Order: sequence, then C-alpha cells, then structure tokens
Amino acid sequence: MKKVLIVLLGLAILGGIGGYFLWNKPHQDVASAKADVIFTADHLLNAFETDENAANAKYLDKIIKVNGVIKDIENNDSGEISVILATDNEMSSVICNFAPDFGDTQKLKSGDEIVIKGLCSGYLMDVVLDRCALAQK
Amino acid sequence: MKKFFLLLAFATIFMAQANAQKYGTRKGTITFDSDTNMEKIHAVNNTVSAVIDAKSKKLQFAVLIKGFQFKKALMQEHFNENYMESSKFPKATFKGEIVDGDVNFVQIGSYDAKVKGKLTIHGVTKDVTVPVKIEMSKAGAHSTATFKVVLADYGIKIPSLVKNKIAKEVTIKVDATLPMLLKRNK
Repeated sequence: MKKVLIVLLGLAILGGIGGYFLWNKPHQDVASAKADVIFTADHLLNAFETDENAANAKYLDKIIKVNGVIKDIENNDSGEISVILATDNEMSSVICNFAPDFGDTQKLKSGDEIVIKGLCSGYLMDVVLDRCALAQK
Repeated sequence: MKKFFLLLAFATIFMAQANAQKYGTRKGTITFDSDTNMEKIHAVNNTVSAVIDAKSKKLQFAVLIKGFQFKKALMQEHFNENYMESSKFPKATFKGEIVDGDVNFVQIGSYDAKVKGKLTIHGVTKDVTVPVKIEMSKAGAHSTATFKVVLADYGIKIPSLVKNKIAKEVTIKVDATLPMLLKRNK
C-alpha cells in the first residue's frame, strides 16, 4: 500500500514538473530555427495575391526566409520594429514584425538589402511575418 | 470677375479635399483581454489594416488572428488552434459605416460617434454597433473603440475544464491612427 502511494506521489510530482514546463514553454525561437521556405519579397506577395487560400494552406505558421529591399521602417507604440519590404506592387508589400528583443535592427535603414526569417501570419493588404529575426544569406 | 476667380479657387481647394478624403493604415493596434478571477489573458496585434472613407463614412478594419502575440507561447497556441481555429479562419474583419455623430474630417477636434456594421470572427458574421472616438489631427484620424465580444456568439467553444479561466465575454480595444491617403496624380 505504501509503495503504491509513493509511486502515485512520484507520478504527481513528475506531472507537476511536466505541467510547469509546458505552461512556461517558450515561444518558438525563429532566429535559430531552419526556414521551411525561401522566397523573395515579390514571390511571397505573388503567391498570396494569386491564390490566397492555397498560400494560406501552404505557408501559414511556417518559417519563411525572405529577401528584399527595405522600403520603410516603422516603430510602433510598444517599441517593436516593423520592416516593410518593397515589391513590384506599390500598394502591397511584405511586413516583417520583429520580436521585441531584437536589438540589431537598429542599424537597418531604407534601401538596404536584407534577409529576414519570420512566421507567416497571413495576408491582408500585405503579407505579414511575425516574430522576425535577421537571417544570413 | 475677381470674385468669380476667388470662388473658383475656393471650389478647387474644396474639391481637392473632398477627393483626398480617404484615411488608412496597416499599423493599427488591437488588444484582446480576457479577465477572470482565475486568470488574466492579454494579447496584442500591431498589424491592423484600416481604411475610412470620409465622404461615404464607410470604414473597414481587418486583422490576422495569428498575429496576436501572447506572453505565454502555450496560450497563443491554444488561442490559435483550439479556440480561433486560425488556420481555417485567418482573419477577423469589420465592415461598416459611421452612423451617429457628426465627424468633421476637415476640422481638427475630437468626435464621438457610432459605427454600425458586420463583424466577422471565427467565420461567423454578426451585426454590431460600437461607439468610437475619432480625433482629427495633422497626423490623421486617430480612432479608438472598446467593445465586448461574447465568444459563444461567434461559435467559439470553451471546454468546461477551463471554463473558469476564460471569460465568456472578452474585451477588444482598437487603437489606430489613420493618416490621409494621398491620391496619386495620373
């Protein structure tokens, strides 16, 4: 009887520890993750403009590595940085929202050629990548 | 004759303004709050697209569900996979018009108004009327609104196990500054 209790207690503690780690599971580390697909900003936007549903099915939640030229950099109220990549379409682009603690975005400026990795959230007027990080070519 | 030219000049200015009266942004903010005694859940999305047409008083807002950022990865995962099913329904949208309140888009000032229209969340569309505040300044139309959404209205099911941790009614805050969109000269 005592043994059963000890085993049960052990299981409960293990479960607790497991639950704790699950609860505090970190966000996906995009910076060190391998990209699922590689695109130019133009191709990425084209994919969504041509067939949004198909592109959603293929690319949502995937880590996308995209290269392009910076059209604009915007800071929002919460101190996060968004890099907007130029495309052939003047009205639409690729918006890359950087994860809050990515300090190396400071040096970026309009006109720079850049490679960015991010999680694809979908398409409104633009394709949106979240939790972005700078990547190597 | 002089008067006529003056009038013409005024008319031209007036028409130019009437033509350019569209406001838009792709960088608006929407926050989501679920408050219960057991748990407070908060998420932010800073990539909200919005357009207001001052002439027709029509407006549109759209947001990507997957763009909502939570502090806890697990909450974000549950929000997307279990509740919002964001792979199936990637967007939430609002399409409507300003129905109440005299918003003067060419006059700097703060205006209280109401917008009425169709709110689509989780693939379900409902008619809603929401109070908004529009502050006109040189930066554009700063629009804010706070309203509640009953999850069950939009077919979002909360399992009984976590019933006490997730509010039946969540608070949505919209905050967006819409600069005037310049019309390209052809």
